[in-house]
Amino acid sequence: MRRSRRRSIAIWTVLIAFTFWTVIPIGLVVLNSFKRAKDIFTPTPTLFFTPTLDNYVNAFTKASFGLYYVNSVIVALVSTVIVIVIGTFAAYALTSFRLRSANTIANAFFLGKLVPTISMLLPLFVLINGIGLRGTLIGPIIAHIALNLPFVVWLMMGFLRDVPHELQQAAIIDGCTRMQTFWKVLFPLILPGVAAAFVLSMQYSWNELLFSLQLTNLDTYTLPVGIAGFVGAISVDWGLSSAAATATMVPLIIVGFFVQKHLAAGTTGGAVKG
Amino acid sequence: MILPLGYALYASFFDYSLGQEANMRFVFLDNYIHFFSDPSALRALLNTVLLTALSLALCLGVGVGIAVLLKEVDRSAANVLRAIFAMPILISPIIVSLIWRYMYDPTYGLVYYFLGFFGLQDFGGLTSSTTALICIVVADVWHTVPFIILVASAGLTVIPEELYEAAHIDGAGAWRMLFSITLPLMAKVLTVLILIRGTDAFRTFDLVYGLTGGGPANATTTLSVYAYKEAFENSRMGFAMAVSVVTLICLIVLFAPFTRNSARDAEA
Repeated sequence: MRRSRRRSIAIWTVLIAFTFWTVIPIGLVVLNSFKRAKDIFTPTPTLFFTPTLDNYVNAFTKASFGLYYVNSVIVALVSTVIVIVIGTFAAYALTSFRLRSANTIANAFFLGKLVPTISMLLPLFVLINGIGLRGTLIGPIIAHIALNLPFVVWLMMGFLRDVPHELQQAAIIDGCTRMQTFWKVLFPLILPGVAAAFVLSMQYSWNELLFSLQLTNLDTYTLPVGIAGFVGAISVDWGLSSAAATATMVPLIIVGFFVQKHLAAGTTGGAVKG
Repeated sequence: MILPLGYALYASFFDYSLGQEANMRFVFLDNYIHFFSDPSALRALLNTVLLTALSLALCLGVGVGIAVLLKEVDRSAANVLRAIFAMPILISPIIVSLIWRYMYDPTYGLVYYFLGFFGLQDFGGLTSSTTALICIVVADVWHTVPFIILVASAGLTVIPEELYEAAHIDGAGAWRMLFSITLPLMAKVLTVLILIRGTDAFRTFDLVYGLTGGGPANATTTLSVYAYKEAFENSRMGFAMAVSVVTLICLIVLFAPFTRNSARDAEA
């Protein structure tokens, strides 16, 4: 009895230490975003201070963060919707027509996720620059679609494969067309997969830096590019950048709370069930 | 996807600068020869391998460890903790680098505040070439361990409880169970994790870009950062393409064995 008690104390010590390790860096930035400069630049961290919204006001008025926010929402939404629509149907075609090479194709698509972003950026940059789309929002949208699509197809194929083939055959015997079979039989079953794909694709697009950095200009910066601008500077305005970082990451942390269960299954393409 | 890659391969045989596609000079393998004779390129390759190996080892160790511990505590408590641990997952790497730059700030940073208690204020942090890479690994681990915890937790739930009971009756201790039951049965999950995390770490760009920009003195330049700098700062497009092709080949060589394993598991 004594031993197991000591054991559980040890376990809890580790878990609580890990909680601090996870939460403190985030908490610090969130706190900083409400601090005046004199409260941020103290040798010992201050927990008690008079909160201020100045940093947020500055970020959205002076540093045009509002514009970046709108840009990011447009890029993330448009690219995600396109990726999900094309990706789901492509995966449906690849699984339901029972192509012999479907598995090979799926693996090839997974390899697509492994390609270094930089290997894709340089050619895409030349391409998009060449057709004069550099500096528009279409640039990052095309780039994000190109990068996300193979992954989403691979992910959806994982989910579609789990649906028994007999269900589809039964629906077709009952007189459903292929489209009806898809919407009425398959779609409800793969909805968790679609949700996971949606969140993963949104967060990729929302967070992606490298493409947006090179393909946009001052008017079409997305949030990560704006933040990279703060970080790159020699002296960082911590209050302002903390406010910007908080405004960018808090929506995702909240989304994360709701979907964390599906994320494990999502990123591993159903290889690991949550 | 194939098209840009084909173009990258093609362009890596040429010497040209940004926006000068008309004046491409065919140099065939010169860019590759240059890569393997350039100390800073080889340094980038070494940094990338080091970063990947360190980060992967730490992530898997800590992540699987925490996931195993979470299984030991009360289920509802574990769920709450898991939700808290998952917080960093969706945060953008560039914000992670912002957060950790603040943590590592020599004057106001929390890292130095804590090190101060142990008399370690002289820690080089991000500005010393010996410690900068380690600092980046720590930030990377902070960011990615949560993902490992989630996936490993999911993997652990499918291991039948009876196995542990049987082992317990046979007198196996906690460590014995970890190495004889948990880890072997998690082999497939671990393979997927190595594949996903390892390739991610190998391509690290945002984090390094935000934390050190590759400095001090190239001590933290990864292949991605190196290719980026060559392309957009030194305007050597052809060479940058060659670097990116080398990166891709390294990735395939290092991680292809793992894909074959996971494909075989999928068929079985």
